[in-house]
Formats: sequence, structure tokens, C-alpha cells
Amino acid sequence: MSAPTATTTVRRFDPRAELGLIVTPVVLGAVFLAYWGWLGGQDLSSQAESALTTTNLVRQTGEQLSITALSTIGVLLIAIPLGIALTRPRGKRFAGPALAVANAGQAVPAYGLLVLMLAILGGVFGRANDNILQNTLGVWLGPGLVITVISLILFAILPVLRNTMVGLTQVDQDVIEAGLGMGMTRREVLLRIELPLAVPVMLAGVRTALVINVGMATLAFLIGGGGLGVTIRSGIQLSQNLVVLTGGVLTALLALGIDWIGGVAERLLRPKGI
Amino acid sequence: MDGVRSLIGFIADNTSGILERTIEHATIVLGVMLVATVFSVVLGIAVQNRGLAKQVSLGTAGVLLTIPSLALFAIFIPLVGIGNRPAQIALFLYAILPILRNTVAGLDAVDPAIVEAAQGMGMGQFQQLVRVRIPLAWPVIIAGVRVSTQLITGVAAIAVLVGGGGLGAYIQRGLTSLGNPFSIERVWTGTLFIILLALVLDAVLGAIGRRTTSPGIR
Repeated sequence: MSAPTATTTVRRFDPRAELGLIVTPVVLGAVFLAYWGWLGGQDLSSQAESALTTTNLVRQTGEQLSITALSTIGVLLIAIPLGIALTRPRGKRFAGPALAVANAGQAVPAYGLLVLMLAILGGVFGRANDNILQNTLGVWLGPGLVITVISLILFAILPVLRNTMVGLTQVDQDVIEAGLGMGMTRREVLLRIELPLAVPVMLAGVRTALVINVGMATLAFLIGGGGLGVTIRSGIQLSQNLVVLTGGVLTALLALGIDWIGGVAERLLRPKGI
Repeated sequence: MDGVRSLIGFIADNTSGILERTIEHATIVLGVMLVATVFSVVLGIAVQNRGLAKQVSLGTAGVLLTIPSLALFAIFIPLVGIGNRPAQIALFLYAILPILRNTVAGLDAVDPAIVEAAQGMGMGQFQQLVRVRIPLAWPVIIAGVRVSTQLITGVAAIAVLVGGGGLGAYIQRGLTSLGNPFSIERVWTGTLFIILLALVLDAVLGAIGRRTTSPGIR
């Protein structure tokens, strides 16, 4: 798994990058159609046929997307407020230790983390039927999916947390003082000056988190969370290369599509003027 | 506390097996890193001065890193079968971007005045590269190698899912036997030794980086 390195670089306006945002979905769509067409012409074994039904693939894609979406929302809800708190005067002294913990977490192999979370949380979501979490989230989404989402949140917090902190601390002190001088309260300065100026860096972190999440969602099948990894695994178990390849290609296209959406969001949500 | 004691007990009882898997894991990582470093540094040198080639190779390496690891492993199975091979190819592709990016950035950062001075001293293109530009970019290149090593040491844990070896085997055994004795100990063993291996490799690369950096810029 993939834990791509968190980036703090923000792409400035670049015609080539703009072009990439338009070309990418066309290329991804074309590759998808070409692969689908090629696969249709192949002579599939009955095992491959039953693994590659449209219903299966659509359901797994849906699972992968919900895991990615839920964990990314979770990351945003935790990492952004935490990042803000750690850059306020009272929270600053915890900033170093918090980043150190989050950094160390990155070295943990995704596979190990997922299984450990299953072992630790399995009791909460799997066995105890009178448990409130089990009866709500667990029933609605399935315990494997919930545990996957929690693991992914832990895994993808770092880039968003770090970029939120970097984005906020790099805001020019003079600008903040100008805001205070205009009679803004601390809160107004945060909401109307600091956060908007930090948004480009924060969005770069969110995009990294999205890529980490969609990648790790491929491993959700290991703990019963579904996703396209199921197709890859059954292909390996049945020695059906076409099934393995289809799982791999669909996952890759999905991840690149998600990254594209992240890129578009990065472009659209960036405040005008910076 | 009981859990820690039984984990220590498990590790103590299985030292030779753990050592074997750790060496297996390290062999996969080091082999991949050797090839990836040579490839990415040479590619970085080749494209650094060519705008379009630079954009295309960095862009491609970025796309490769966006593809989920298991998917990338899977795509190579039809070509090379299961085992370590698909994992090695995928890990190699993963390792390119950090090294390539840092090679290009390191070379970009070399002061043109220094290169001109080297030229003025009568050095040819090749000598300028080997004796001036690469030594000056070296600390940045090594930093990229360290990032890639960390990354693929962790990702190599899933090599076991495509029939490969390494410390992921402990995690897999633990997962398939969850609920039985020593299952959670196996998972912890696999996870902890992967982290440990990543830390050791990073420290070794850090030391190599310091020793091989020209004294003038140390």
C-alpha cells in the first residue's frame, strides 16, 4: 500500500496542468472502453464469467467508493480542526509531538494495520450484538467496511494535518495583524484571512489523502470490507489471469479517476486572488 | 502487559523463522532499490535539461504512484505469473518517482556559475556531470532514495498476497488464524519487523549518504 509521500507543493496556474484536467477523463474513459471491448472478445472460462459479472463489479466499485468517501470525510473532520487547534497559541506546544506521532504512523504497513484493527475492533463490531456501534454503523455498512474506514482514517490523517498546519503557519504575520488592526476578532481573522490563504496547501494534502484512501480501500477485502480487491483475490485464487487483470485495471482507473476529481476540486475550490 | 509478554515469547521462540522472512523482505527491497536507483538517476540526468521529456517522465512516474499497490501487482500477474516477480516489478515502478524527482531537483539546484567555472577549467560535459553536478546534487538524490526505500518496505508487505515472500507472511498467517493462539502475535511480529527493517534501512542509507557526500558540502 501505498502511502504516497505527502506533498506540500501547490501547483500554481500552469496551462499544462489545466490541459491535464481536461485530457485525463477522456484518456481514462478511452482506456476503460478499449479494455472492456478487448475483454468482451476474449474467451472467458465459466469461473471467470461468474467472477466478472457486471453486478459484482458495480457492487465492488460502489464499496470501494464508499470506503474512500467515508474515510476521506472522516480525515477532514478530524485533521482540519486538529490542525487549526495545533497552530493556535495555546495548542502550539503540542504541534511537534502530534506530528511526530502522525509521522511514525506512516511507517506502519497498511496490511499490518488493517489486520491489527480487525483484531482489536473485531470484538466491538463483530461479536457483541448488543453494541450500539454494531447495531448502527455495523449493520448498515458491514463490520469489515467500518473497520477499514477507521484504519484508513488513521492512515491518511498525516498529509491533511501537516498541510493544514503548514498552510496556516505560512500565512504572512503582517496580513494577520492588518486584519486585527481592522478590528477583526481572532475568530474572524481565522475564518476570513488565515483559512482562505491556507486553502491551496490544505487541498494538496486532501488530494494526497484521497489517493491513499482509494489505494488502501483495495485491501479492504482482506478483512471483509469488499471493494475491487475481491476480484483481484478471486482471480489469484482461481488462477484466472483475466479476472486478476480486470480487477487490477478497474482499480487503477478508479484511483486515477479519483485523483482527477481531487485535481478538479483543488482547482475549483482555490479562492480567487491566490 | 500479558500481550506484550506473549509477543516477546513468540518472537523468542521463532527467531530463525523471523530472521529468514526479514532477510527475504530485505532482499526484495534492496534488489528493487538498486535497480530503481540506477534507473531513476540515469533517467533524471537524461531528462533534466529537456523540458517536455522531464514533464512526461515525472508525470508518468506520478501516475504509477497513484495506482493502488495491489492493482499494480495484479496487472503484472498475467505477464510474469505469481510469486515475487510481479511484486518486484510493481515496487520498482513505485520507487521511481521520489528518486527521479529528487535527481531532477538536485541537478536543477546546482548553481550555473559553478558549472561554468568547471567548464572554464576545461572539463568536458561528462566530467562536469560526474565531478561537479552529481556530487552537488547527491544529498538530495540520497534523500529521494530514502523516501522510496521507506515506501516500498511497507508496500512489500502485500507481496505475500500475490504469492511472494517476506514479512507479510506473518501478517497473512495471523489473519487466516485469527482467534487461534498466537494469531495476533504473528500480526504484530510481521508489522513490527517491517517497521524495524524500514528504520534500519533508513539509518544505513543515512550513514551511506553522509559518507558519500563530498566534504565540501557536508
